[in-house]
Order: sequence, then structure tokens, then C-alpha cells
Amino acid sequence: MTAIRTQNLRKTYGDVTALADLSLSVEAGELFALLGPNGAGKTTTIEILTGQLVPDEGTVDVLGTDPTTDPVETRRRVGILPEKESPPSFMTPWEYFDFVGTVRGLDSATVRERVETWADRLSYREKLDTLNTDLSRGQQQKVMITQAFLHEPDLVFIDEPLANLDPIVQERVKRFFTSYRDDGNTLFLSTHDIDVAEEICTRVGIVSEGRLVGERVPADLGREESLLDTFLDSVGGSIEATAGATD
Amino acid sequence: MAETPSRRLFVEMLREEFRLHARLFGGRRFAAFPLFVALVGAGTVWLLERAGTDLGGAIAGFHALVFAFGLHTGSIGLVGRDAMRDLLGDVTLLVFTARTLPLSRRRLLGIFLVKDAVYYAALFLAPLSVAFAVGGLGLRVALLWATITGTFLLGIAVTMAAIALSTRGVSGWVVVLALAAAVGLGWTTSFDPVGFTPYAVYESPGVGSVVRAVVPIVGLSLLGIATYDATTTSPSRTAESAFEAWHERLSFDEDGLVTKSLLDVARSSGGFTKVPFSAGILFLVSVGMVDLAGSLTGVDPSIAVSMGAILGLTAFTTYNWLTQFDALGVYLLYPISHAAVFRAKFRAFMVLGLPTALGYFAIAVAWRGGRVGEIVVGAVLLVGLHLYLFGLTVYLAGFRPNEFLFDTVLFAVFTVAVAVGLVPVLIVGLVVAPIDVIAMAALVALAVILGSVGVGLYRRAIPRWSRRYRTE
Repeated sequence: MTAIRTQNLRKTYGDVTALADLSLSVEAGELFALLGPNGAGKTTTIEILTGQLVPDEGTVDVLGTDPTTDPVETRRRVGILPEKESPPSFMTPWEYFDFVGTVRGLDSATVRERVETWADRLSYREKLDTLNTDLSRGQQQKVMITQAFLHEPDLVFIDEPLANLDPIVQERVKRFFTSYRDDGNTLFLSTHDIDVAEEICTRVGIVSEGRLVGERVPADLGREESLLDTFLDSVGGSIEATAGATD
Repeated sequence: MAETPSRRLFVEMLREEFRLHARLFGGRRFAAFPLFVALVGAGTVWLLERAGTDLGGAIAGFHALVFAFGLHTGSIGLVGRDAMRDLLGDVTLLVFTARTLPLSRRRLLGIFLVKDAVYYAALFLAPLSVAFAVGGLGLRVALLWATITGTFLLGIAVTMAAIALSTRGVSGWVVVLALAAAVGLGWTTSFDPVGFTPYAVYESPGVGSVVRAVVPIVGLSLLGIATYDATTTSPSRTAESAFEAWHERLSFDEDGLVTKSLLDVARSSGGFTKVPFSAGILFLVSVGMVDLAGSLTGVDPSIAVSMGAILGLTAFTTYNWLTQFDALGVYLLYPISHAAVFRAKFRAFMVLGLPTALGYFAIAVAWRGGRVGEIVVGAVLLVGLHLYLFGLTVYLAGFRPNEFLFDTVLFAVFTVAVAVGLVPVLIVGLVVAPIDVIAMAALVALAVILGSVGVGLYRRAIPRWSRRYRTE
């Protein structure tokens, strides 16, 4: 079953083309990573797939819903962990999860049970009554990870999931992602981190200048191959600095 | 001249301030804002003169307003990056670069304040001063510009000194309270604090008045820079979970969005009291205005009708508080439509804003009296104008009402639209009183029309802003 399908997506911001002609497909049960350099169009892709943005052209299907015409239904079915968003400043994590639970139609007992599990998994139980604005960036990221999985959705969109997390928590999160996929769910990661993509993902799509320029299954990489080489070949990049090069 | 780090920093901060305003407030149209300010200011001065108002009183009020503006401006650069982020989004200003560059926090603060003085003196205070040329001030316009710039600096210096002292803990607060008590005590005796402000220079220019005005500005600035403790940190704040309890009480709030909005206002600095506080400022100003109008026209104004109309303006500040602590994009992580968010803001607005305005209206009529019929009409007008202002603000500015204060075109449209609703009512309330039955009926009809237009604008705003937010 196909979880995500896009065809010929195009999105521009004024003179800047974020997506030129993006077509991709993700099957249910995949842990798919969209890998690309800065400005390649990864975040725009997630924003379109979750109905936050409307594409200029192209079609989108997410779990049988069309986020362009019915974004609320799409967001009801999926979880979203954005790259930049922080939890609301003047709520505590507990209050925020009560709010998310209300919006997503979860009863209080379920919210409580799942939050306690997540707080233990990510080691922040003692912070549940602290105002979000007074949490560190890492703690805020833990809160945001929790909200994305609170309703245990079939599909989760995750933009740079491990930012600001310490190595132990990073490892726990990676293992959770893998086990969540093993339970039959789908995860769509957007990341710069080639090592993470190679380590946990079942398939990697490489995006550059708003187009899908390559795809690899990390498990199929030969002994002499690396995802980094595939990535550099696909985007035409080099790890040697060159005059006039940008990130 | 060789470029020093401080000079470079000053230039870059000036550029940064302009770009920040231009980005937030209408792009290149922001450059026309000083011209618009000058035109509106000149029109106001002309109207005041035509109404026979003493220009001296207007200039004194002008200094008071600029002092309040300085107090506010001084706080923005000093309250910290988190507060800036809540207000402006993901913004990092040069004043916060002490952690990454070999520049002391005190030096950054000092240059930041000098930059503020130059920037606002040129872009806002100069056109406002020029506006008074309409009043026949002649060369005294230059003196006025100098003294209001000084007044603005005094406001910044007071805020800066207070915040800097507060970073020193209890001892700092003791000094703040002692200084405030000394000024207050002096006021009750023969000491005249106004004599130590730039306004005194405008009133009686001379070396003595200049020295008396400069000493507090310089002294408070030095006190602020010397006492600011950049290493101070506030402890993490904790709170008992209140969402569920509040949500249960708000039975109409199915999706929890009203509860969240109210929690944001309650938990941020000042709590719920900031809503009646900002409305209270308008209340006091309007009481003074109504009295002034009465003394100018010789007509005993209708307190109920005039205050009902003016207090309708509190809708803008209340909506501003309700949208200050989140952005619409935050809600796009959940299965929530834009319409649901706007609806929640409207409901929260009715919960917070309308009772506040009606409370002040009740105080006004209890204090100053009024005929029963006019009180009823005044209350209806307040509700009508309240809804009109809300709908107008949401339609023009969406989720960011702060923006159009400095967006020339939007601000002009907003000003005209407010005047269309407010001025006819004020003329009746201030000049035509006592109001006969026919005029009362007309005012009620106008209130109903304005309220309906407000609700209509609010409804039309939803698809307008939903479309815009999803395509940009």
C-alpha cells in the first residue's frame, strides 16, 4: 500500500524555486529519508505533504487524503515534528500534551499514560511542570517529539529529528523509530545527516534543487560503497572546498 | 576616519533596525511612514487649532506620549531573546551577539541605545515635530525636536536603569523602589520632577534647564550600564497543570483553542492584568479628552455615548494581547483549520475584551453619571464598535495586528475606517448632547450596522488569510 505519492510538485517563492518537479512514492511500513543539501526543498516538501503549504502545481496523496484540499483530515491522520517549531512558550509540557490530546481526540488517561512513557524514554519527567520557555532547546525537542507520536499515527513526518539531543537520547530515538516502523508504521524523515539515514532508513531519496535526483536502499550498498558517495554523485557536490562554493 | 568596532556596530545596528521594520511592517512602504506620520501629525495640530485648543497643552501631552514611547522602546532590547522571539518570531539581533563575538554586553547595550535614539529621532520624532510647524511654532520646531528626543532618551534611560538594577536581585529592586519613592515623595512636596526633564527646556530654554535635563538622562544611563549584570539568569518557572481545569470551565471550547489562548495571556508577563491595564490607559485618556471637549465647546458632553464609543477602541489592544504569544503556523501541526483558530481568538476576545471594556464603561457612568437612555445607547455603541474594530483588525492584519501600526498603507486604511465609525458618534456625544430620542435611535442603528460590518469582516478575513498563509 502506498502511504505517500507526489507527482510533478512545483513550488516557488517569488523568484526562488523551492520545488521544480518533485515526484516520489513511499510505501506503508517504510522508514524513508529525504536527504539533500540546504535549500534543496526538503522542508517545503514536508509542508506540502502535511497541508501547511499549497503547491503551485502537481498532485499529492497522503494515506488516501489530499492535503491540498483537506489539510485538516491529513493532519488528523499523521504526526508532524517540524524542524523549527518550539512548544508554546507559556504552557508546561503537561498542559501542552493535554491540549494536543484534546485537539486529537484522546482521553486524559491515554494522554497521561503515553506522556509518562515518552518522558521516561527521553528522560525529561522532572521537566513536565516547567514552562516550555524555560526548557533548554534539547528538552523542547523532546517535547516536540512526544507530541508528534502522542496519537500513535500510521505516518509521521519528521524534520531533522535529532537536533539538540544528547547522544544517549539520540540512540533511544533512533531505536524507537526502527521499532515503530517494525510495527507497520511509516516514517518520513527529512535530514542532512547521512549517517543517520544510512543507519536506520529502509530507503533514501536524494533531493537537489527541488527534484528527486537519486534513490538508494542502504541495505543494498556494497562493501566499497557509501551513502555519502552516492549523495555526492547525485547532487554533483564535493567535500573539497572550492572558490565561490556555498553550503 | 578609521572605522572602529563600535562605529561599525552602530552602523550595522541602524541598518538592522530599518530592515527589521521594513520586513515586519510592509516592506518598502515602510520608508513612506515618516511622511505619513508628518501628514497625520500636521492634520491633528490643524484640527486642534481650529477647535481652539491651547497648543501649549498639546505640546505637553506630546512630551508625555514620547516619554511613554521611550519607556516601551527601552524594554524591547533588554528583555531577552526569548521575549523577542515570542514577539517577532525567529529573530536574532546584533545586541544579542555578546556570546559569539568578543564584545561586552555593556558595550552592545550602550551602542544599541545610541542607535535607538538616532533612529527614532530621525524617522519618527523629526516628522512629528515638523507637524507642529502648522501651529506656527517657527524656529521653535527645532527646539521641540531636541526636547522630545531628549524626552525619548529619558524614557529609555529610566527603563534601562530599572531593568539593569533588577538583574542585581533584591538589592537592585530596593534601589529601584527607593528612587521611585524619592520622586513620588518629592512630587508631593515642593520638588518638581518635570523641572528635570527636557520639557522644562522647551518651556524655558537656558543653560540651567539644559543641565537639569541632561543630568538625569546621563546619570540613569550610566547607572544602567554600570549595574547591568549580564550573567544574571532567572530560575525556571514551574506551574501546576491548569489546562484541563480551565478547559472544563469553558464548556463552549470543544477543541481547547480558547483555553490555550487564555493560558498564554495569563502566563506571560503581567498576566491577565495587562488587558485591563492597557484598557485603563485609554480610559483615563478618554476621560481627559471628554472633559477637554466639554471645556472647549461649552456643551456638557454625553459621558455614556462618548465613553462607549471611545472604549470600543480597546478591541485593538485586547486582540493584540491575544495574538502576541503564538503564530498561526504553530497550529498547522494539528488537525485544526485556520477558521478554527480565528474562531477561538474571537471567542477569547469576547471572554477577555468585552467584559473589560464594559467594566470601564460602568466605572465611567458610575463616576460621571448619565441619563438612563444614553447609558443604554452607550453600552450598545461600545459593543458595536468593539465588534467593528475586531473585524476590521482581523481583516486587515490577520494574525499580526502589530504589523499595520507601521505599514503606511494599512495604517492609513485602518485610520480612515476607524474614523468613519467613531467620528460621527463622537460629534453627537460631545457636541449635540443632550441627545434626543431620534438621535439615540440613529446611534443604536449605527452600532448595529457597525457590529454587523465587524462580524462580516471577521468572516471574510478567514478565507482571505487562510489562502494567504497557505500559499506564502
